[in-house]
Amino acid sequence: MMKNKLKAIALLACALSMHGAYAEAEENFVLWLLNFERTKEVKPVTNKQYQDECGACHFAYQPGLLPARSWEKLLNVEALRDHFGDNAEMDKDTMRAIHDYAVENAADKSFYKRSRKIAVATENGPAPLRIIELRYIERKHHDIPERMIKGNQGVKSLSYCNKCHTQAAKGVFDADTVSIPNYPKWDD
Amino acid sequence: MECKNRNIVASICMAALSGMAYAGNTVQDIAIPSITSPYTHGGKSYMLTSNDAGAARKQASAAPAIQAAEFEPPIFSGSNAHKYLGLGTLALVIATAIAPKPPEVEDRAPTQAEIDAQKSSTHAKLGRAAAAMAAATVTTGLLAHWGDFHLEDGWADPDNMHAMLGTAGALAMLYAVSKAPGGGHAGMGLAGGVAMGVAVKLTW
Repeated sequence: MMKNKLKAIALLACALSMHGAYAEAEENFVLWLLNFERTKEVKPVTNKQYQDECGACHFAYQPGLLPARSWEKLLNVEALRDHFGDNAEMDKDTMRAIHDYAVENAADKSFYKRSRKIAVATENGPAPLRIIELRYIERKHHDIPERMIKGNQGVKSLSYCNKCHTQAAKGVFDADTVSIPNYPKWDD
Repeated sequence: MECKNRNIVASICMAALSGMAYAGNTVQDIAIPSITSPYTHGGKSYMLTSNDAGAARKQASAAPAIQAAEFEPPIFSGSNAHKYLGLGTLALVIATAIAPKPPEVEDRAPTQAEIDAQKSSTHAKLGRAAAAMAAATVTTGLLAHWGDFHLEDGWADPDNMHAMLGTAGALAMLYAVSKAPGGGHAGMGLAGGVAMGVAVKLTW
């Protein structure tokens, strides 16, 4: 009986010490392994400058949605001059700060599950520039009829993640949090 | 009833229950379209069947009149059922490992009374419950997350690893229960529990 009590106390102590590892979890594999905090989705944007600059024109996509080499291609002076048809130039310091934040938190540097999936899926081949063209993202959305996206005034394009993913800003993209505007009863 | 049969029946019951949870989550909405339904696009062909007083006056080009309500994720879904069954399995594995066991008889063949005592011990009951819940977890996982399992993504994909480790862990636990109280079942049960724990962590 004494042995069992010791086992239970050891397990409890282990659990408590693991919980303290959360703060460092994103930096270190061992600490990620030992923490209980959920890292199932994508790390939310935590940089105000990134949020303000990118979010001024479109949904501020989490850096964990693309690998670092994609952000390298997207966030430079030349690329921002023609940012998917728009001029998104900004001063050098701001661009450097946004670039560094995106690269440091890119999919291939994150321990969040959905980012890891994206990193594994984009390991080979050219760096993807559009999130919606990732094979993984395409596959997750291929069941949704066009009339619910392009033909839906409340959505218009897959690019507007936050139109249907109600917790996209928190980095949560799971099926339970999806609500398609004008098609609230739709379920895959 | 034999212990093994009880395990099988318990596993089937848990699997059936988890199947019902999934079915309840994916029930089809067969509501008849009304004049304001986006599915009809306000089409005039539906106007005759609508009892809305002002239906005939509404134009076919009217935009869908659905108010954007505050969205709340469902509490009960196939995904949530899978999650809680998985966590429950881990809790039962830990409880099984620390639960008191009857003393093992090594120097002679155990008597029937000793075998019965081992099979009805708290450790044995928790072990059977853990294996049954593991089977239910795998079943709900297959039903709710089948679309996340793609071999083309390779073995390093976290969802693929989760599915394989979880299934292997459940099978190891079922094997351990079927071998209990014989020697060696503890190692297999523990290996199953660890595999399930790693599977949970990979997608947590």
